[in-house]
Amino acid sequence: MAVFDLIGLSFGALKERKLRSGLTILMVIIGVALMTSINGLGGGMNNFITEQLGTLGANVLIVTPSSMFGPMQQSGMQTKLTAQTVRTIERIQGTKYVIPFMTGAGTLKSGGETKTVSVLGIDQSKLVYVAPKISLESGSYVPSRDTSGILLGYNIAHPSNLNKPFANTGQMVSLEFSVVETQGGAEKLVVKKKAFVVRGVANELGTQDVDSLASISLAEANALFGKDGVYDGIYVITNGPNDNDKVEARITKIYGKNIGVMSPKAIASTIQDVMGTFIGFLSAIGGVSMFVGAVGIITTLYTSVMERTREIGLLKAIGYTRETVLLMFLTESFAIGLVGALLGLVFGVVGAYVLIGVLPFGFGQEISISPWFSVPDLGQVFLLALGLSVLAGLYPAWRASTMSPILALKKE
Amino acid sequence: MTGMDEKLAIETVDLKKSYKMGLVTVHALRGVNLKIRHGEMISVVGPSGSGKSTLLNMLGALDVPTSGKILIDSVDISRMGERALARFRNRRIGFVFQSYNLIDRSKVAKNVELPAIVADMPRNLRNKRVNELLDLVGLGDKANRRPNALSGGEQQRVAIARALVNDPAYILADEPTGNLDSKTGQEIENLLLRVNKETNATIVIVTHNLELAEGTGRIIHLRDGVIEKERVGLWGHGDEAA
Repeated sequence: MAVFDLIGLSFGALKERKLRSGLTILMVIIGVALMTSINGLGGGMNNFITEQLGTLGANVLIVTPSSMFGPMQQSGMQTKLTAQTVRTIERIQGTKYVIPFMTGAGTLKSGGETKTVSVLGIDQSKLVYVAPKISLESGSYVPSRDTSGILLGYNIAHPSNLNKPFANTGQMVSLEFSVVETQGGAEKLVVKKKAFVVRGVANELGTQDVDSLASISLAEANALFGKDGVYDGIYVITNGPNDNDKVEARITKIYGKNIGVMSPKAIASTIQDVMGTFIGFLSAIGGVSMFVGAVGIITTLYTSVMERTREIGLLKAIGYTRETVLLMFLTESFAIGLVGALLGLVFGVVGAYVLIGVLPFGFGQEISISPWFSVPDLGQVFLLALGLSVLAGLYPAWRASTMSPILALKKE
Repeated sequence: MTGMDEKLAIETVDLKKSYKMGLVTVHALRGVNLKIRHGEMISVVGPSGSGKSTLLNMLGALDVPTSGKILIDSVDISRMGERALARFRNRRIGFVFQSYNLIDRSKVAKNVELPAIVADMPRNLRNKRVNELLDLVGLGDKANRRPNALSGGEQQRVAIARALVNDPAYILADEPTGNLDSKTGQEIENLLLRVNKETNATIVIVTHNLELAEGTGRIIHLRDGVIEKERVGLWGHGDEAA
């Protein structure tokens, strides 16, 4: 029998039982959609975490003036991070480098274009320990005594909304920033301006933090933003990831809760563990619902076979072979699986975007995670759904194919 | 009457069929010897349980005998495999049932087409054939109706068209008028007689209806699984004999 005729006969039978076929397809849709959504969420989470892990070295700790996670300290209690703090931490066993940094914000201008940037003042010769993957597209790092050099992140030098570079190595850019100055006892916001020479441009890392960076020397940041020798944070590079806990505990012991220490890697892997468990749990539900869908197909088709006993008897009497009858019913289960799987994929992709907005992935912080779908994984879900559907159709189809035409025709 | 050496359409040799019903073995056929010539139209009559439906199922290759032979065109179909039997039923035999056995979700034309689909008849040929046959049975204007919108007599006409679609050599009808009033039953019989005359298909009708049986060429009386007697009917002994 021609494939077209086979499909015609099978669809006719499915259409006769519209509600039942529809509900069965819905069962398949739910399973496939769940699996697809979960796949997208898991992929998105993994991307996000990999990105975070990829930027900072595994042996990096970040010291901040007060604990980010503990209760807010009174400002008077805050420990200021100074050269003294750096010397203290340097003496802790297990530390390799202690790299203080200062931050500020401003607007860069170059050739009529402007860009808002966060400015990082740091000893750039040690930048590579903080972000091991960093490399320069052109030029060099800004030396620590350089007061007019600036290093630009990839996205600053090559903004996506411009078809030409914002600034090249060797070019002049001007930085506008505001500082609070005390003049005659009153605090005043003053806008200042300074010209810098682009010493180098970093390669694209794929991380917003690094790619959108403008970095100057520590000394210049101190002078520019009036930091008065007080750091905004300190990167502590340990001898290896295994020393992180030891060093972290030691710093906490010295400064108590007046200082914050965190290990980005530890945080990321904790998030990854929690998410992994969560995604695994959801996947299990998705898997179960796919099996429920398969059982639904068995039930629907089996009922259909029983109801159509006389029809099957007739078909066999007029010369339909076992194989043809088997194929007819398998085509029905295949059709249910195909429609269910296709719609399931569509609903699953949409569902992932909806879920990511609803679920507390950001832990209250502004973190944007977008679902990421792996095509081979989606292919697997699709094929699994189709395979399960055909498999589920096998028993009812076999029952139909082995019916005796005489007994089937006798049935009232 | 033609000579005995003429090649027979259907011949059964000591055909026996028994089956178990619970603990009891039922001997439905106890040795039936039947000879049917090409183009003949015969009826098989007998009380319930006489084995007439079992005999028809055997002739239609729907059931296999316990012992004995069924020769159709001198080929013993009781030795054929499942696949060959299915093909045989499809190409050589047209069935007509008491309860029509039409598929209600499919249009009349589709119902008629069913045996042709599995015979791999090309689509355009199929459509042409379906239309011809619906015209033949007088339902040319109802091709797109659903069977359940038709009267019983009309449904049986559709079933007859379906039986004819692959141009079979044999038509086997099991109580074709059993669900119809006598007037409609007579119309169906007239249709079968016409089919017999126009297509020269060999027709075997199993029936309770003696009036119907009288109209065929030969009447076989079956009782307790054996042929009790046979008589000549009204059909084909005049205009048909040539």
